[in-house]
Amino acid sequence: MDELEVMRVRDEVLQAMYWLHSEAISTMPTAKELSRFLAVPEPVLVPYLERFVEDGLLERGSAAFYWLSETGMESGKRTFADEMADLTRPTHGECDADCWCHDSPEAAADCLHERTGKAHST
Amino acid sequence: MKEPEKPIAPDPTPAQVLPKNFLRPCLLLLLREQPAHGYDLLERLRPLGFNRDDPGRLYRALRTLETDGLVRSVWEKSTSGPDRRMYELTREGMELLHESVTSLKATYEILGMFLSRYTEFVALRPPKKSPAPRD
Repeated sequence: MDELEVMRVRDEVLQAMYWLHSEAISTMPTAKELSRFLAVPEPVLVPYLERFVEDGLLERGSAAFYWLSETGMESGKRTFADEMADLTRPTHGECDADCWCHDSPEAAADCLHERTGKAHST
Repeated sequence: MKEPEKPIAPDPTPAQVLPKNFLRPCLLLLLREQPAHGYDLLERLRPLGFNRDDPGRLYRALRTLETDGLVRSVWEKSTSGPDRRMYELTREGMELLHESVTSLKATYEILGMFLSRYTEFVALRPPKKSPAPRD
């Protein structure tokens, strides 16, 4: 197993499982449910899930249900936030909070024009 | 020789007849109406023709929208369970929503024209003759 790929899949699986758990959609998905959820073939996903069980991030029941260990739960939550952190910071010149409630394409285009000095793409 | 009977295709579900990538503008609209959690979005998508059997589709769409800067999410503390992500629209998301509506309106007009012409055609078809009664 390529360790870089393991790390990538680990973050993806833990984040998805944390999301499913926090939204009360599924706390103990099966490999089949997870593969459908992540749009990854089940035979590809299962070896990774087993690896994460060995690493103590997941736990597995007798009927092939998986759930997050305490460490897995913390990791899923933390990496979810880290991954999106750069995207959620306001950028220079971004509108004020009450600006983006313009209700027409024209107003949106005018605002974007003012902010960027460029014509709107529509 | 008698032709073999063709299998009858099941009626399409709403999700099968919706425009491609319709989920994206729907999510932008729902988040324009109010910030929401994933589960809430799953419920509110139902009247728009999406069933709630595929939460993975919603999850992947939200991730893509967030990566594209159209949606942002923050943690919301929960007293009864793990903290959840609360999603809200960004300025860019609002702009894309406006653009999507322009495109959907054009599709709506074309479909309206199609249905109007079809209705006209059906109205002009001669009625079927009923079989003659047996003696």
